[in-house]
Amino acid sequence: MHQMSVRSIVKHFADLKVLDEFDLDVAKGEFVALLGPSGCGKSTLLRIIAGLETPDSGEIHIAGRSVTALAPEHRNIALMFQSYALLPHMSAIENVRFPLRMRGQLSRADQLRKAREAMSLVQLGHLAERYPRQLSGGQQQRVALARSIVGEPDLLLLDEPLSNLDARLREEMQIELKRLHENLGLTTIFVTHDQNEALGLANRITLMNRGSIEQQGTPEEIYRRPRTVFAADFLGGANIFELEVSESDGVWSGSFPDGSRVDLAVSSDLEPGKCQFMLRKEAVTFDPEQSMSTITGTIQTQNYLGGQTRSLIRAGGIEIIAVTDSDKTETDRIETQIGWRPDELIPLQNV
Amino acid sequence: MSAGSAQPYREPAILLTPGLLFLLLAFFFPALQLLAQSFLTFGTEPARFTLEHYAKAAVDDFYAGVGVRTFRLAMIITALCLLIGFPLAVIITRVGPALRTVLIVLIILPLMTSVVIRTFGWLVILGPGGVLSWTLQQLGVIDRGISLMHTEAGIVIAMVQVLLPFLVLTTLGSLGQIPPSLEEAARVMGAGFFRGIFHVTLPLAVPGLASGSLLVFALSISSFITPTLVGGVRLQVMAGSIYQQMTGSFDWGFGAALSMILLLSTLLLIVPYMVITSRIGGRK
Repeated sequence: MHQMSVRSIVKHFADLKVLDEFDLDVAKGEFVALLGPSGCGKSTLLRIIAGLETPDSGEIHIAGRSVTALAPEHRNIALMFQSYALLPHMSAIENVRFPLRMRGQLSRADQLRKAREAMSLVQLGHLAERYPRQLSGGQQQRVALARSIVGEPDLLLLDEPLSNLDARLREEMQIELKRLHENLGLTTIFVTHDQNEALGLANRITLMNRGSIEQQGTPEEIYRRPRTVFAADFLGGANIFELEVSESDGVWSGSFPDGSRVDLAVSSDLEPGKCQFMLRKEAVTFDPEQSMSTITGTIQTQNYLGGQTRSLIRAGGIEIIAVTDSDKTETDRIETQIGWRPDELIPLQNV
Repeated sequence: MSAGSAQPYREPAILLTPGLLFLLLAFFFPALQLLAQSFLTFGTEPARFTLEHYAKAAVDDFYAGVGVRTFRLAMIITALCLLIGFPLAVIITRVGPALRTVLIVLIILPLMTSVVIRTFGWLVILGPGGVLSWTLQQLGVIDRGISLMHTEAGIVIAMVQVLLPFLVLTTLGSLGQIPPSLEEAARVMGAGFFRGIFHVTLPLAVPGLASGSLLVFALSISSFITPTLVGGVRLQVMAGSIYQQMTGSFDWGFGAALSMILLLSTLLLIVPYMVITSRIGGRK
C-alpha cells in the first residue's frame, strides 16, 4: 500500500505543458526528493499534491483515500514553504499550535503541550514566545519545521527546504532533517534543485525533466549509474565526452578523438559507433592499478580545495577534470598517467 | 562623506517646507482664528472675552441632539463601510489581474463624479415613488409607497456609497503586502477559506482597515452636502448646523464654538482609536 500516489497527472499553464502524464508512488516512511532544474514541474507537482493547484486530469491518493477533489484543509498534510510562511502576527508557539487549533481535536492545553514538544524537537523550546521577526532565518526555519510536524500529518511536503540558508546552516539543517525523519518516520516529499541536498537527504531521488521523470532510484544509483546525459550532468561532478565504440572478439573498447583507446566494461547498452560516456571526477586517479584503463595526459591547471585537489588534464584530445585526494595528486605540470576502473566509464543515452 | 551630511536635517527640511507652509496657512491659521472667535463676542467693538457661545450650545437640546446624531451616523457609516469594504477588498486581491482592474475602476468611478450629482441620484432612488419604493411594491414587500428621504437610513445608504472607495483603496494597500503563501499555508494547516481569512488576512489587514476607517469616520463627521440633501432640515448634522450658523444666521461666534466642539470630540474619539489599532497592527 502506498502512502501517496499520483496517477497520470497532467497540468498546463496556458499553452505550456508543465506535467505530462506524471506518475509517482511513495511508500510509507519514504523520504523522496523531487530533483530537477527550475521549470521542470517539480514545484507544481508539490502544489498539486497539497491541493493548492488543480490538475487538468489525474488522480491523487494520500493514506489510502482519494484526495483529488478535496480542498487543502481536508488532506491532512503539512507543507513547509520555501519562504517558511510563518504568520507574522503570532508568536512562534502560536504558529506551531496553529494546525492543531484549526483541526480542533485537542483541548487547548493539549495543543500547547504538543506545540512545546515540537518546538523542543527542533531545539527551539527557549524561543517559544518570540515573534517571527525576532528570529534569525535558521530559527524561523525550525519554527516552520516544528509547525509542519506537530500535527503528525499523513504526508510532509517540503518546498526547497534549505535554499534560504547560508552554507553552514544548510549543512546543520541537512543533519537535523535527516535525524527528524529517522525519529518520526513521516512520509516526506521534498522539492529541490540542489543535487547535494537530494543526495544527502533522500532515500529515493526522482529526477525530473520537462514534466516527466528522467530517472528514479536511490541516491547512489542516480549518482553512479545515470542513464542519460541530462542525469549525469545534473547530478554534477561529471566528465561527459564522446568515444567511438568498437568490438573485437568480445572485447569492447572506445577510442578518444586523438586515437588513444581504452577498454570498456561489458554492458548491454553498448553498440558500435559514437556514444556519450560519463566519468565521475572522483573516479580518476593518478596512481592507476593493473586492472584499470589508463591514458596519458598533461596537467593544465590545478585548484587546491583542502583535502582534495581539482586538476584539469588534457588527455586523449579532450579535457578531463579529476578530483583526487591532495596527498595522492600529481603536482608538477608534466605528462602523467591517469586511470580509472573500466566500469566507472558509463555509457549514456543521448537524449 | 559629502559636505551635506554634516547637517543631516537641512535637505529634508527644505523638502518639508512647502507642505508645512501650506498646512500652516490653510489649517492651523483658520483653526486658531476659529478658536479665538469662539471665545469672543460677535458684532461688538471691541470684541470681549465670553463663554456665551459655549453656554448656548450646552443649554440648547437641539444642538446636543445634532451632535449625538452626527457621531451615531458616522459610527454606523464607518461600521458598514468596514463590513462591506473588507470582503470586497479581499476578493479584489484574489481575482485575476483583468477582473481586478475592472473592479478597481468600478470602485474608483464614483469618485470621478461630484458628490452633489451622486446625492441627487440617491434622491431619485430613495424618494417617494422612486426606484426603491417601486421595486419593493412590485415584489409585494410593501403595499404603499415609501420614502427613505429625510430618514437616517437614507443618509447612511447614500454616505456609505460615497465613502466606500476610501476604505476599499486603503485596505487594498494592506492586503497587497500579505504574501499569498501565508493564506495558502493557513489553508494547508486546516483553516479552510473563511477561517483563513479570519485568522490570517483580517489581522494582517488591520493597518489598512484602521487608516481607511479613520478616513471614512473623519469624512462622514465633517460632511454636510449628502446629509443635508438627503436628511433635509429636520435631520441636521453638525457640519450642516455650522454651515447654517456661518452663512444663514451670520452667528460666527456660535458657529466657531460648534466647530471647536466638533473638532475636540472627534479628536477624543480618534486618538485612542489610533493608539489601539497601531498597537494591534504593530505586533507583526
